[in-house]
Amino acid sequence: MNGFDDFSRPMEYISPLDRHFRSVLRRYIEQEVMPFRRQYDEDWKDHAIIEPAFDKLMGELGLQKALFPPEHGGWGITRSDYIFRFAYMLCEELGRADTGMAVALAVTFWPLLVILVEPFVNERLIAEFAPMFCNTKKAVFAANAMTEPQGGSDIENMGLLRGRTIRTTARLEGDQWVINGHKLWPTNSGGAASLFGVPCTTRPGSDDLNDFAFIYVPAGAEGVTQGGPYEKAGMAADKNGDIFFDHVRVPAWYRAHGPGSDAEAFYQLIPFGQVASSAFLTGAMMNMYERLNEFVSSRTYRNRPLKENDAVAAIIGRIAGDIDICRILGHEAAMMGDRRNKPYGLPLTSEELVGKIRNIKDFISDRAVENFGKAMDVLGLYGPDRDWDIEKHWRDIKIIQLWMGGKQLCQMESARYFFNCETV
Amino acid sequence: MIGNLEGLFLMPEKGIDEETQGVVTLVRRWADKEVIGDRLEYRRNYPSRFDEKRKTLFLAMGLQRLAVPEEHGGFGWHTPGRMRHVLRVLTEIGRADCSTGVLLAMNCALFTVVTRFCDGRNGLTDSLASSYLEDEMKTASCILTGPGHAGRETPLFKGRSILARAAAAGESATVSGEDLRPLAAGLAADRFLIVCADSDGSPCLALVPVDAPGIARSERVKAAGLDALANADISLDAVTIPKDHLILDQDAVSYLSACLNLMLGGVSLGAGLNFFEIVSDWSDSRVIKGGTVLKENPLCASVLADTAEEIACAGFLLHDLAGIMPLTDHPGPSGMEAVYTYSAMIGAKAQQGIMRAINRGLELMGSAGYAREWHAEKHWRDVKTIQSIMCGTGAEAPVKMDIARFFYNCSEI
Ligand SMILES: Cc1cc2nc3c(=O)[nH]c(=O)nc-3n(C[C@H](O)[C@H](O)[C@H](O)COP(=O)(O)OP(=O)(O)OC[C@H]3O[C@@H](n4cnc5c(N)ncnc54)[C@H](O)[C@@H]3O)c2cc1C
Repeated sequence: MNGFDDFSRPMEYISPLDRHFRSVLRRYIEQEVMPFRRQYDEDWKDHAIIEPAFDKLMGELGLQKALFPPEHGGWGITRSDYIFRFAYMLCEELGRADTGMAVALAVTFWPLLVILVEPFVNERLIAEFAPMFCNTKKAVFAANAMTEPQGGSDIENMGLLRGRTIRTTARLEGDQWVINGHKLWPTNSGGAASLFGVPCTTRPGSDDLNDFAFIYVPAGAEGVTQGGPYEKAGMAADKNGDIFFDHVRVPAWYRAHGPGSDAEAFYQLIPFGQVASSAFLTGAMMNMYERLNEFVSSRTYRNRPLKENDAVAAIIGRIAGDIDICRILGHEAAMMGDRRNKPYGLPLTSEELVGKIRNIKDFISDRAVENFGKAMDVLGLYGPDRDWDIEKHWRDIKIIQLWMGGKQLCQMESARYFFNCETV
Repeated sequence: MIGNLEGLFLMPEKGIDEETQGVVTLVRRWADKEVIGDRLEYRRNYPSRFDEKRKTLFLAMGLQRLAVPEEHGGFGWHTPGRMRHVLRVLTEIGRADCSTGVLLAMNCALFTVVTRFCDGRNGLTDSLASSYLEDEMKTASCILTGPGHAGRETPLFKGRSILARAAAAGESATVSGEDLRPLAAGLAADRFLIVCADSDGSPCLALVPVDAPGIARSERVKAAGLDALANADISLDAVTIPKDHLILDQDAVSYLSACLNLMLGGVSLGAGLNFFEIVSDWSDSRVIKGGTVLKENPLCASVLADTAEEIACAGFLLHDLAGIMPLTDHPGPSGMEAVYTYSAMIGAKAQQGIMRAINRGLELMGSAGYAREWHAEKHWRDVKTIQSIMCGTGAEAPVKMDIARFFYNCSEI
């Protein structure tokens, strides 16, 4: 093995953009993010160091335009047949440096996917929001505000609960939606986002998917209040906080698609989120391998490099083997998404696709949590030391296992598909 | 939470006398009132609150003297028979704050080792004890074996590199070593207990006061946990210490390691118990699936069971380990060697178990578990830090070698 790039991925799955774009992106990340990431934890509130890096990546390099069609100044990625694989590449490269930064970028795409991916395209809203992201060299963030104080998992558990627990309400008054509610924790809240995608209910307590509405709310709209960022165990580059909607009015056409279609288009976000999460994790694990390799080659047990001790070799061999397997699985999950329009593919909203992709993400999360913990133990005294980078990833990636409804929801969606469960 | 911790986490209570129970109760009160009951404030102003609360515990309540021999004015909890009591106290402290627990553990380990191996050299115990009776907080920091550097041969202690060297000459000794990494608190320590190799390459211990000329410390090391214990690498350039500060006995190194495994196990156990309390409150009130209380969901209940089970088993193992500490008085392989091996084995198992308990419990807490506000994540970071530093290097491999050596007489591993 020559380096971290040699971890397996099915080469037939690699998108045409991969090689060129990956190398440009990697250069940027190695110059603008990696040398500074050890200082990010202390910058969680102000983003004084983090924000310029975002400006470079999202604004100057232009990543925030990627999804929008060329006629609006974007790169048209959502019209390609490799959007999942493109996203995987992007999230993996960024995840190698900093998964907090990776999620902040990926979640900017997240609510926009609801109106940009066939068959759910809303040209009027694309034209409305594209300039915000495409006509600037500053980083602009969006947020997908699902989680509410009473719980996030239930809102993502559309298959079983069908929006019944959502408390944020949308009422149509003339040609405007009036929104009331409290969301918390979305990536890019805490004052970062300029635009929110907000899952609401038009009839509280209803499990009729026609009553589910996905409505866009500009952060500056009257009645929107944001709290400051929460202090967390990790993921300093991602700000998370409270958002209050108090009689917020937006035009009626800010609703993504309409009754029934909103729920379907929103449900597509689950596979996108899970594939991106898998990519954050394999990227972070590839960086773990780099740092671990340096340690076990230069430090010793019984006066021989750690990696030359059979017992240690068994441990690090397992870690690297897991990274290899996870990367193959992650690419398979991305490919499942990109096959959606093929005759043999599955729609993004199918129980089979959601169950299988959640299953892969759950598997990769578990391997990542375990292997980062193990890698810290291999470093022993130096495991908790920030200069070795592994502890930062260890803190950051734990939440990837927990977000989007958590590990248990992944297990349930997998069981639901594989065993036709009806109540779990 | 249902029931109290004692009622839920059964521990072998053998030999807990009234005096000990009194100390344990006092420390629990300190933990509940001063730290756990005031978490928000404690977290917001951590450095100053940490010092203040530690002062109450160490000086006002006198726990700084916990392992100082009775005849020197301490509590006298320094003998192998007292280890289960020390474990109980450290568990109570770990429940409040691992950093405070680690500091007390290192102080206790120092006295436990010094009093045992400096028999007949009362000068050292006297001077050490009298400094611990002062109205000033004392911090001892331990520097154990570490990973060696490729291309640089070092003497070994059970396969692990000894990175410091000690040489006795006349009435004094010199200690040298570069970039040694203390377990914790390298910046705050006023003395270091260092595993060294003597002039024959045999393992020994040196007690080095920080004001001795020739000691340099690096910048603060940023770490995953134990935030209050600023650590730094230490270099010693032929630092001179009195000869009686050198303990030329390999068993002292084994004993130090055994004590630390037990004591830091106790600290992590305390953190695990408090984590249990947090996750228990959460699972009592959080509602999922549109109406089910979290703990009443069978899947969540089985995860909760994992958390409780790991903590309960770790507690049992650690108490049993404390119970065999007096075996260190036995000569031969059933003595120090056995206790060393059992402590390494149980220490690693207990730390792994508690870490797994917290990792699993966090799965149920969603974002709340990840927010500093809930305090669960602090236990997670602190215990992981303790686990990794006690691992030494190479994950579980070196401990497996210790176990194999003891049980199978391996001689080349
Ligand atoms: C860094 C970070 C980024 C985030 N980004 C976003 C974002 O972009 N948008 C957003 O809306 N939210 C976001 N969140 C919130 C996150 O997605 C939620 O916290 C998560 O979905 C879990 O919700 P909860 O915390 O409310 O826990 P709850 O929903 O209360 O769930 C608690 C636990 O109950 C269990 N559980 C839940 N449902 C079931 C079930 N059906 N069967 C069995 N067990 C179950 C699980 O163990 C779960 O972990 C983010 C959080 C963090 C920390």
